[in-house]
Amino acid sequence: MVVSDSTARRYTLGDPDVRLMLEVRDDSATAFEELVLRYQGRLITVLEHLVGNRDLAEDLTQEVFLRVYRNRKTYLPGAKFSTWLFTIANNAASNALRSRSRRREVRLQTHDSARSGARAMEAVLAASSGQMPARQLDKAEMRDVVRMAVGALNERQRLAVLLSKFEELSYADIGEIMDLSPQAIKSLLARARCRLREALQPYLEHGERPAGEGNGGD
Amino acid sequence: MSDEPAEAAPVPEEQLVAYLDGELAPEESRRVEEMLASDAEAQEALRWLDGTWEMLDRLDRQEADEETARSTLEMIAAAAEEEVARVRSAAPGRRARRWGLAAGALVAASLAGFLAVSWLAPGANRQLLEDLPVLENLDAYLEVDDIEFLRELNRQQVFADSTDPDAANEEN
Repeated sequence: MVVSDSTARRYTLGDPDVRLMLEVRDDSATAFEELVLRYQGRLITVLEHLVGNRDLAEDLTQEVFLRVYRNRKTYLPGAKFSTWLFTIANNAASNALRSRSRRREVRLQTHDSARSGARAMEAVLAASSGQMPARQLDKAEMRDVVRMAVGALNERQRLAVLLSKFEELSYADIGEIMDLSPQAIKSLLARARCRLREALQPYLEHGERPAGEGNGGD
Repeated sequence: MSDEPAEAAPVPEEQLVAYLDGELAPEESRRVEEMLASDAEAQEALRWLDGTWEMLDRLDRQEADEETARSTLEMIAAAAEEEVARVRSAAPGRRARRWGLAAGALVAASLAGFLAVSWLAPGANRQLLEDLPVLENLDAYLEVDDIEFLRELNRQQVFADSTDPDAANEEN
């Protein structure tokens, strides 16, 4: 990647994590440790919801930091540090999901992700419409319902949602990570949020009426 | 980077989401606000889009954890040690290869230089070789004033021990 001097200067001045990474490039172990402490939790959070598995998310996070370490000598500040880091994370996660999907195809010939996504969404809708047995509205259930709704999004929608929600990244930064234009991210996020609304609105309506808060929008 | 929209979404909802995300230009934001002021359905949609987005705060978040960080750093340190060991073990072979390449390059450069000089500047040696028969008999030539007399002597192979094979062949 070609990075102009003015771009490098802008990111170096504006982003303290870029400055830390430049220290890592000069073999500072302290700076590397600081970056791990700052970003490890954030990476695990996004990756866990992206791949749907905590252990895999931790492994991928370690792989991301290993790639950062191995590529330190060629690092150039051409973006915010978090954008650069989550681009690496996206590549690592995509590879992992691809190889997992290949393994799954071998094991279960009838399985396909679209159908599993549809099943997850049906489960959310069933939960939200009161069709689930012994339905109890509590925090744990709500968390599971939200997790299912996010899990029912396709991979690209899910990543865009997670980066927007947890990392509060702009459309331009998310686009850089996902190699899409800001306009494409705008459409992707709008579609994702409409799907989340379709899944979660009935749940919220059914869940809150008994409490008498009238949040259902009658 | 692809400019193609990843998926189509109804325009008003796309604008509402971008409005909530603070991604609209001031003029676009003003238009959305005008639309919201007169459109109850759009207000409802905005409220639900915002409310369901807030529900994502229920998802688990991993806090910074020193133990996990230490485990990552240990893994990286082990990888770094392996890297150093690999570089060290590869060093002698690499050094020998480097010397071999340097020596090869030197030989090639010398050869190329020699050929170039030979080709571009035939030089004095070749001229000396051509003049050798004359030089060897220079004293005898100096005694003679007439060139025809010299040619006659040559025909009679007086200079038969000359190094010039062509002259001898001519006589034969």
